[in-house]
Amino acid sequence: MSLFEKIFNYGILSRLQENGIVPVTTHERSWLKTMLQHPTAADAFTPDTLKKLRLLLSGSDAPQLSGMLQEKAGSMEKQVYHPFIRQLRSLIRSGQGIRISYRIKDGSLHEEQRGYPYKLEYSMVKREWYLLWYRFRPRSFMATKLDNIISVSGIPLEAEQAETYAATVRKLLDSRRRQAVIEVVPEFNNELSRILYAFSCFDKSVAYEESSDTYQIRISYLADESEYVLLKIRFLGKRVRVVQNTHLQTRMRETAAKALARYGITGPDADADTEQSV
Amino acid sequence: MAKESFDKEIQFLRMLALTTGAYSRQQFAERLGISVHTFDKTLRKLKEIASSVHDSAAGTPGEDPDRELGGMLRYNHYETSDPMLMFLFRAKSLKETEIDRLSLLLGELNGRSMTAAELLDSCCSGLPADAAMPDEKTIRSDLKYLEEVGVIRKVNSGRPARYQLHDDLIRELSAEELQELYDYVDCMANTQLPSVQGYLLRDSLKSVLKQHQTGRDATEPFLYKYHYHSRILDEAHLYPLFGAIAERRTVSFIYFSPKSRRSYASRNTNPLFERKAKGLSERILPLRVVYDHQYGRWYLLGHNTRQGIMIFRMEGLTDLVLGEPVEEERFSKHLAELEAATANSWLVDTGRQVLVKARFYNPEVPPNQPNFVKERVQQQGQWGVITEEGEDSFLYEITVNGPYEIKPWLRSFGSSCEVLEPAQLRREFIAEWKEIQRGYEPV
Repeated sequence: MSLFEKIFNYGILSRLQENGIVPVTTHERSWLKTMLQHPTAADAFTPDTLKKLRLLLSGSDAPQLSGMLQEKAGSMEKQVYHPFIRQLRSLIRSGQGIRISYRIKDGSLHEEQRGYPYKLEYSMVKREWYLLWYRFRPRSFMATKLDNIISVSGIPLEAEQAETYAATVRKLLDSRRRQAVIEVVPEFNNELSRILYAFSCFDKSVAYEESSDTYQIRISYLADESEYVLLKIRFLGKRVRVVQNTHLQTRMRETAAKALARYGITGPDADADTEQSV
Repeated sequence: MAKESFDKEIQFLRMLALTTGAYSRQQFAERLGISVHTFDKTLRKLKEIASSVHDSAAGTPGEDPDRELGGMLRYNHYETSDPMLMFLFRAKSLKETEIDRLSLLLGELNGRSMTAAELLDSCCSGLPADAAMPDEKTIRSDLKYLEEVGVIRKVNSGRPARYQLHDDLIRELSAEELQELYDYVDCMANTQLPSVQGYLLRDSLKSVLKQHQTGRDATEPFLYKYHYHSRILDEAHLYPLFGAIAERRTVSFIYFSPKSRRSYASRNTNPLFERKAKGLSERILPLRVVYDHQYGRWYLLGHNTRQGIMIFRMEGLTDLVLGEPVEEERFSKHLAELEAATANSWLVDTGRQVLVKARFYNPEVPPNQPNFVKERVQQQGQWGVITEEGEDSFLYEITVNGPYEIKPWLRSFGSSCEVLEPAQLRREFIAEWKEIQRGYEPV
């Protein structure tokens, strides 16, 4: 079976949806059966539901892809589905507030803080889950690893209040947006494909100047993602150059000087800071 | 009818997703090796599908038509976690009459079982009077197709066969269980490979949940950061390749290398997606598929009698055709060769083994703060080992096939990483940091 089946056609899809009919194909069932073999399934369902699902899929095959498909150079998978997700996503969906106890990076404990849960975010780089939330006192936008949460419970919020907090978070995120323009050094235009792939995990647009055969990638990211943007730029090395964004340019200049100092080559910027956590 | 190929759409969307906004229609068409007319037609078709699948995808009228879809493919991570390129898999062409008939059949089989003859009757009364009426043969072949893809099933063993919608997975679950299932499918489709089947299931579950949701219930609570969105385009080739590997069959295809050759680069052409007359016809025994998390790219690894082990980037594959099976013995022999050759590949390099030694410097953080340099080395350093630990730094060693695939990763640590061995790699790092430094010198 191919992924381009008549049954997936967009015309059929919308017609069936109008009539509340949901077709599920053999391959989707097989995919699900394979995914339910992952140990993390136990974190996602009650034992009864999991049993029921497995029973419903007992007639399906679960193809073993392990020998045919190999994943390379990724981050080791720390977690897939976290036990806190079930509770947190219902709180988010029902627009409730939270009372939460959690640890921060240095290990210290923050107890019984109140706030508004915005989203659950999974980082494909860190391979773990974070709760993005807005803390009421002191007011602050937080990203807390689910692994660092000790306990969490819901507190009632008026629908209007919840909407206000959601709007506050959106505004905050917007105010943290940063832009950078990264130029592909024309000499490396033959590597354009992989350079564009490397930046395809960001919100970006590309401009091409035909007369000089130059590509510029404009990326948009949040201020606290700067370190990851820098990591990508260093990853590509001399192939790319930041042409717009003073902060990134300064950091790249410092990094180059400090890196050269590691090899015993010193220059004016050698005392600058080392790389930060992403 | 010739088998419909989606190579053009895949290449089209890949280029659009990667080069968002860079090219005019003319430039875009040239680089794909298609005419502007074909460009317009393809764009129109894709837009029609996209806007029927996502309501928000209609675009702003009056904008440049080619930039419009491009703009839609730009994603805002904090607004949606819907995979934006999924609509490609909704692109199978279908006549309006077939859409009518298949939808009608599935509607009739929803919640009750029927025979082909009964379906023919209700079909004829269900279709508009001026529509061409299907005959029994057509209905039987529709049923055969729907049964093959698993959407319906036979519910009796006798004759005449009775069919029913195969939707227990949806029907037997409570609203709460469906929500749990949706969340799990969403998470797995986004974090595991392959994902397209999961995204299709996610779409279906979403439409069921919508029926009894209001307002905030519909909020998507999950976001996935740093995804390579175009990765799902290459999954189009994945299942035919898995099928070929499982059955030990050869495949042939036309390959367009994403790397350009020097002679072309100097002619001021865009190396990306150069088409036309440059594709190479290849025939190999496929052995394995590799996904590279660093770039979100796929590779096909296989064997060819003349050249031995061969490596292809999936994005360069077009006109894929399955060939004849080979003996198990031959397949096992080549698979073993491949495993030996790639055992130490950072990605897929089969070059000569080399020991890479690097010193990583611990960050200057307060003592109770995590050492993020070490954490990242441990999480991403594959089979490399930390052999020595000091107060300020630690030593990392790894044997890899050639130093080139690991190089970008080492470089991404910036001044927190000093390459010690091999000497040649150390020299290259010094030269490259000098060059980077020159790029940021004040003018």
